[in-house]
This record gives sequence, structure tokens and C-alpha cells, in this order.
Amino acid sequence: MTSSKNKKIILRILTHLVLVIFTLIAIYPVLQVVTISLRPSDKLLSTSLEIIPQNATLKSYVSLFTDQPFLLWVRNSALISLTVTLTGVALAAMSGYAFSRFNFIGKKVGLLGLLVTQMFPATMLLLPLYLMLIYLGLINSYLGIIITYSATALPFCIWTMKGYYDTIPISLEEAARIDGCNQFQAFYKVILPLASPALVITGLFSFMTAWSEYIVAAQILQDTQLWTLPLGLKSFEANMSTEWGLYGAASLIVMIPVVALFIILSKWLVSGLTLGSVKG
Amino acid sequence: MNRFYKNIFIFTFVAPAFLVLIGVVFYPFIYNVVISFSNMNLRHIQDWQMVGPVQYVKVFTEPTEPNFYVIFLKTIIWTFVNVFFHVVLGVILALLLNQKIKGKGIYRTLLILPWAIPQYIVALTWRGMFNYEYGSINIVLTKYLHLPAVEWLKNPTEAFLACILTNIWLGFPFMMVVALGALQSIPHELYEAADIDGASWYHKLKNITFPLIKPVMIPAITLGIVWTFNSLNIVWLVSNGGEPSDNTHILVSFVYKAAFNLYRYGYAAALSIVIFVILLIFSLSFMKKTKATEAAY
Amino acid sequence: MKIIRHLLSIIHLSSIILLSLVLFLSCSRRIDLNRIVIWHQMRVDERVILEGQMKKYMELHPGIHLEAIYKETEELRSGFIIAAIAGQGPDLVYGPSDQIGPFQVMNIIKPMENIFSEAWIDSFNPKGVTWYKGHLYQIADKLGNHLTLVFNKNLLQKAPETDIELIEIGKRLTVYSNGDGRFEQYGLVWNYTEPFFFIPFMTGFGGWVMDDDGKPTLDNRGVVDGLNFIKELRDIYKIIPREADYNIADALFKDGKAAMIINGDWSWAGYKKAGIDIGIAPLPKIVKTGLWCAPMVSPKGYSINVNVSKEKEKIVVDVLRYLLAPENQLETAKQLNTMPTWRALYDDPFIKNDEILKNSQIQIDRGRPMPVVPELRAIWDAMRPSYQAVLGGVKTPEQAAKNMQSLALRKIAEMNE
Repeated sequence: MTSSKNKKIILRILTHLVLVIFTLIAIYPVLQVVTISLRPSDKLLSTSLEIIPQNATLKSYVSLFTDQPFLLWVRNSALISLTVTLTGVALAAMSGYAFSRFNFIGKKVGLLGLLVTQMFPATMLLLPLYLMLIYLGLINSYLGIIITYSATALPFCIWTMKGYYDTIPISLEEAARIDGCNQFQAFYKVILPLASPALVITGLFSFMTAWSEYIVAAQILQDTQLWTLPLGLKSFEANMSTEWGLYGAASLIVMIPVVALFIILSKWLVSGLTLGSVKG
Repeated sequence: MNRFYKNIFIFTFVAPAFLVLIGVVFYPFIYNVVISFSNMNLRHIQDWQMVGPVQYVKVFTEPTEPNFYVIFLKTIIWTFVNVFFHVVLGVILALLLNQKIKGKGIYRTLLILPWAIPQYIVALTWRGMFNYEYGSINIVLTKYLHLPAVEWLKNPTEAFLACILTNIWLGFPFMMVVALGALQSIPHELYEAADIDGASWYHKLKNITFPLIKPVMIPAITLGIVWTFNSLNIVWLVSNGGEPSDNTHILVSFVYKAAFNLYRYGYAAALSIVIFVILLIFSLSFMKKTKATEAAY
Repeated sequence: MKIIRHLLSIIHLSSIILLSLVLFLSCSRRIDLNRIVIWHQMRVDERVILEGQMKKYMELHPGIHLEAIYKETEELRSGFIIAAIAGQGPDLVYGPSDQIGPFQVMNIIKPMENIFSEAWIDSFNPKGVTWYKGHLYQIADKLGNHLTLVFNKNLLQKAPETDIELIEIGKRLTVYSNGDGRFEQYGLVWNYTEPFFFIPFMTGFGGWVMDDDGKPTLDNRGVVDGLNFIKELRDIYKIIPREADYNIADALFKDGKAAMIINGDWSWAGYKKAGIDIGIAPLPKIVKTGLWCAPMVSPKGYSINVNVSKEKEKIVVDVLRYLLAPENQLETAKQLNTMPTWRALYDDPFIKNDEILKNSQIQIDRGRPMPVVPELRAIWDAMRPSYQAVLGGVKTPEQAAKNMQSLALRKIAEMNE
């Protein structure tokens, strides 16, 4: 008995040790960004290693909210990201379901086609995309950027959803159909709730795509009123004289919603099948 | 189910997604195919003409420095080392976090920070950490591990390694999150049943965990490979655009340089198509092996 | 009936998505004759002044809206090319003169000699108006963008005037005492991995990047001797770090751990902000050749997008005349110590007497104008690999000079094919 108990304790300690080491590695560079944001002079690097720099100051954070249109960027980014997330999740949940449950002409080609979209160097797509958005009158508009972002995130999302639906037994839908549901209701009421872990990943990913993208936004949104956070962030940059303090502070604030979203969504990551549908 | 109804159902479910994709990805792709057969460059940017497969011949035969095949090899190393560590670290951490342990929420939150922070500033921070004299990595090596300092950014191999290390750091949280989602969907009953049968830890992992997270991990890995193959940011920022001496390029950063530094749009388009074909062939064979497009049931 | 109901619910779902998208259409704006957009790559303190001047203009001209958008130098170029080819883009682009070459070849900027009066153009320093292939393509508000020697007055009273003094002072001010492998202080630092920062040494030893026809001339003594000189500074005299890119050099100087730095006029404000008492001095003379180390000098100014319509041109011209007006140039000069281009301003007491501007002026006079031709890009790209290979000990300076030349020739051929 004791030996197995000891073994368990040792295992537990080992688990924590590994986790602590990786957590330290994960956060160390982030802490460096904290240091940058607290420095009074705009320095990216320093010859000293302290985390809290000498003469640390919150000046950058204050000026971010008072001198810069930071809140406008946050609002624009939030608006775009949330719309992209909703669109992305809805489109992916639907088409992923069709790919998982049905056989149809062009299914394999379609799935492959999704993957294919990711294989082309993105910078090369910029010029034709721009030309097309001008043709459609979508340049300098949220619609243009939302469509672009949704399409960027979609392939991964559809694949994830399809993969996840594949793990849900078809017998569940058959049971629902016997109970009088139609195909859409079976999808909507039975399968979709079960797929919540995948929905969460899909949502998180769509959000991240829209929240942090820069290159496309820089080409499409040319009115400062429409700027998103990454565009705003970039404006602290300058060839060889970047305002690193502001940049660091803004980067950390940009991180917060993503982390918050992850914490909130992790509940749904846990739920999944434990709600009891399988048992019944 | 009525056949007609079924078809309409499928169509309405799939069509909106593909409509968006055709507009944003498919049309630009065709445009690039056209450009790759043209002479679009600095001198012919508005009045370009079709010149046939000239640019493709150049991709394979032009004595570029560095050589196309060398960069290709580097890209493969880059992709595999990165994805391998992303997946291994991601799954291990997800397995550890999927137990009942104290502080799970905190670990989980802190571990995703590399994914959440904007890439530009951390990539440059990493570059600073690799500095010979003042970078924290060399200080840890010399002071605490009593190893010789490494000239990370001056030598081609070390500089490439520096890029890989940075990208591994950046990429593992994503795989961790995906694996965590998959792990948490596995019913506890399966493990309980295995416990009753007296299955070992290893057997449970092999017979329950891996097969059940596979359907989610395979697409993530496939896409991970495609993304890593084409990820420009980290290589560009950590190596400062290919330093030293253009020795740290992967194919995309090379395309980027060709297209924007020397305004060779036709050539860059042809090179992009070549990258695309390489990836396509690769993914097809990978998926054939893992049967990713087929249902798990 | 059932089928129709299901269909409806599906259509409902997708139409909600589409509708929510269409709602955003209202946010898009139309092209407006009275809205003038400027793309620039100015650093932050320059932007503040520009925006102040723009604000004043808008107050004087109600109904006209000016908007300045910052883009990083490379992005400004690639972004402007894409936008202008598609018939769009900003009305004005601001940047160093070397962007004129590619823009002219691509035909995306307008000749300006017939838009402005001859007398007005004549009131500028000829170095500030950039003609290329017989047309005027850019008018500058600042001269410079040049490297100088910046020194920390707490560590050093007087800057070195020759390479011999530089080494002497450098040795005295390089401190390595506790033997932990890290230097406490360096005599001199700079971003020596980038060819732009190598130019002063190349010229100091008598070399230059290209001849008058734009053909590269990189296989020259200046390149070889300049490379040897930098290697000596690092390996023999040990007065510069073993490894230094822009950010490391910047950090060392801002931390007070470097007595001197070679950096451009853009960096001065940042050093003052970091609390360093700086002095500006021209780069030293190489005793052996008798030549001064000469950096590249380029004007920074405005060009007009080719897509600007005849109607809109009038407003654009008025805006330009305002932004380039002497009083605005003087304001910028006073705040940023930059060199104006309006000739009459050179008699202004401030321009004449300011310590930093005086030394900056000497450096500008000794500098060499940056070539405008697009080939310059290929030359940078050809220099970088071999230059870094020499510093990494992989190539000899002689090999490097040869390789630079042949690579430059090939890249220019590739670019112009």
C-alpha cells in the first residue's frame, strides 16, 4: 500500500515539476514584455536582467488610454472579431456536420480544397484580394475584412468540427429521429451541444485570427477611424525609433481578452460529453 | 430520408462556407497562377504579358544564392522539427493538465500566453534573448549550467536553431488547447472499465487515449504542417530577414524577399505555385497514411 | 410542407449571418475630393509636428480633411505599389528619395515640374528637390537621414577626429574588469550588421557603391579596407562588441554602457529622452587615405500619386505648399534639429547657431547623396550576405568584395529582365 502511495506522491511532484518548468518557459518572454512596458525610456533590450526595471513607471499605460485612440481600436477589433467568430463558428458547425454525416459528390475534393486554401503563401494573395475587394466596393469597410478573416479561419474550423462530429456516434441521431426529430433538429438539439469542445476551439481560433491579424488589415482599412488593434499597435512602431513602452503595454492589454476568453471557455472545454447524454 | 431533401440539406450546409472561400482564396489563387506565367516585374508592372513557363524554369535553374534546393531542405527540417515538438509538448502538457491536480486552472492559463501575445514584440524579445553577451539564454548557459556561450545569431546553424526554438515556444499552446479539448471529450467510463480489467497506464494511453484524440489531432497536425511550412513571421523577425548572410531562409521568406525586395512578382508567383504543389503532394500522402478524410467510424 | 419549414429554418440561420455582414456596409466610405490622405514613414516626434501643422491647415480651410497614416518604410512601398496599380492609394507619399526610382519606373507617381511654379521650386536647396529622368518627382522638407557620431558627454568631452584618435579613445573607454565574459563598457557601438551602416567606412577608404550609370562598383579597395578596419576594431583593438544589431547597440548606448555610437539623426531625440547628455560630431577622417568617412545623405519629402485627378490636384498642391512652407520647416527644425530645405532659412539665426545643427550640417556637406535608381535595392541585397560572412569569419574581405559585385550584377539583371 505505502509503496503505491509513495509512487503516487512522486508522480504528483513530477507532474508539478514539469508543469512549473514549462510555465516558466512560457511566461519568461512575456515577462520581458512587461519589463519593456515599465521602462521609462523606449528600449526594446537592456543589458540588465531585472524584471522590474529601474525607475519603473506606468506612464506607458496611462498614455495609452489618454493620448491614444486605444479604446476606439479596441472597439473596432472587438466588433470585427466577434462577428468573425460568430460567422466562423456557424459556417463551420454547419458544413463540418455535412462533411461528417453524409456522402456526397465532391466531398473528398471539398475537404481537400479546404486544406489547399492554406497552402499558398498568404502574402502573394494580397494583390488579387485587394483588386477584388475594390471591384466589389468593399475596400475600407468592415464587411471586406470580416469576409476575409472568416475565410482565413474557416478551413481549420470546418476540419475540427468534422473531426469532432466523427467521434459522436450516429446512433444518437438515430435515437433522436425515432423520438420525432427531423435531421435539422437532430443536428441542432442533440449533436451541436455534444460538440461544444470543438465549437469552443473553433470559436477561439476564429477570434484569434481576427484579433491579431495585421497584413490584410493594413491594406484594406485605410481610414484611421476603422483601425483595429494590430494596426494601432503598429503605429507605435517607426523605422529604428519605435515607442517600445507603448508597444509593450498595448501588447499586454491585447493579450487580456484572449486569456479571459480562454478561461471562460475552458468550462465548455470540460463539459462535452460529461453532461450525460452518452450514459442515457 | 428523401433524396432531394437530403441534397438540399447538404447544399445549404456547405455552400455558404464555400462561397466565402471561393471569393477570398480561390480567385486570388487563380490570379497568381496567371501571373506566374507572366513577366510581371519592376519594368512590367502594369503592362505585363504572358511569357509561358519562363519563371518556373528560373525557379529550378537560376543560380540563386542561397540555392533553391538548400532552402527547400531547410524548410522541411523547419517544418518537421517544429510540428513534432508542438504536438509532443502539446499532448504531454494536455495529458498532465487533464488530471486532478492543484493549480490546474493557473497552469492552463499561463501556458497559453505564448499564443495570446502579439507575435511581433515577442519575436524581437527572443532575438534579444539570443544575444551573445547580454541575452538571457547565454547567461543561463554560462552562469548556471557552466556551458560555453553560444554565438546564436552569427552562425547559420545556430541562428536557424534560434528561429526554431522561438517558433516551438510560440506554437505548442495551440496544440495543447486542441489536445485538451479532445482529451476532455473522452468518457471516464472507458478508463474505469480499463481499470477494472487491470490495464496499465501505458495500455490505457495506447488503446483509449490516442485512438480517441486522433480524429481531432490529425487535422490539427496536417494544418499545423501546412501553416509551419508557410509561416513567415518568426523566421523573418528572429533572423532579421535571413541573417546571417541569407542563411536562415525558408521558402516563404525567400518568396517574400523576391516579391517585395526586387519587385519580381512573376517569379515570386511561380515560386509560390511550386511551394503549393510541394505541400499538396505532401498533404495528400500524409492524409492517405492517416486516412484523415475518412470517418473514424 | 415539412420540407419547406425545414428549409426556411436553415435559410433563416444563414440569412442572419449574411444580414449582420451587410449591416457593416454602411461603415464603408466613398472617395472624397476634400479628403487628402498622406502615407508617411515618419517617426513619432516628427508625426506629432506634422499632425499639428495639418490641424492648423484644416482650421484655415474648413471642409478639407487631411489624414496622415504611418507605414513602415518597406510596407509603405509594397502597399503603395499594390494600391496605386489598382488605381487607388493615398494622394501623397512621404519618404526618403530612394523610393522615387522604383515608383517612377512603375509609373505610379506624377511629375511635378509643371504643377508648381518655377520660382517656388527655385526657393529650395537643389539637394531637396529630386529630379529623375528629366522630371521632378519629389520635394523634400528635410535633408539628412544621415549617420553621425553620437557621444555620451559624461564619458567623453571631445569626439575623435581621425580613425587613430577613434581607436585611442575607444581603447581608453572600453572597460573589461571582472572577467565574467561581459564588458562593462564599450568605446564604440553601432549596428554593424547592416550595409547602410558600412557606407561611411567604404567611403572613408575611397569606395562607392555605383558609378554614374547605376552600375555597381563594389569590388573596390574601399570595401576591402573598410571591412578590414571594422574587423580590426572588433578583433584587435576590441573596442566594439562581438555582436551588435540595431537594438543591442541602442540598448548599450541608452544604458550608458557605450561612449560613442554611430547612428542617424532619427535617434537623437530617443537618447535625450533616455537621459543621456549627447554630443553630435562628424564621423572621423581616415588618416591613411585623407578622406572623411561619408555617410549616405538623402532628402525626405513628398511625391504625388499618379491617380490624383486633375480636380483634386489643386487641393493637393495647396496642401503641399503649406506643408513645405518656410515657417513650418523652421518649426520642425527647431524641435527636431533637422536640416530644412528652404534656402532662405539657412540665414536664420537658429539654423546658423544651433550646436547640433552645425555639426549635422558639416556631416551633410561631407556626405554623399543616396542614389535614386531602383538598382540601389539590388546593391543592398548583394552586399548583405558577403558583408555578414566577413564578420562571421567565413570570407576574406577580398572574396567578399568580388562576391558582392558579381551578385549585384546578377540581381540587377534579374530585376530588370
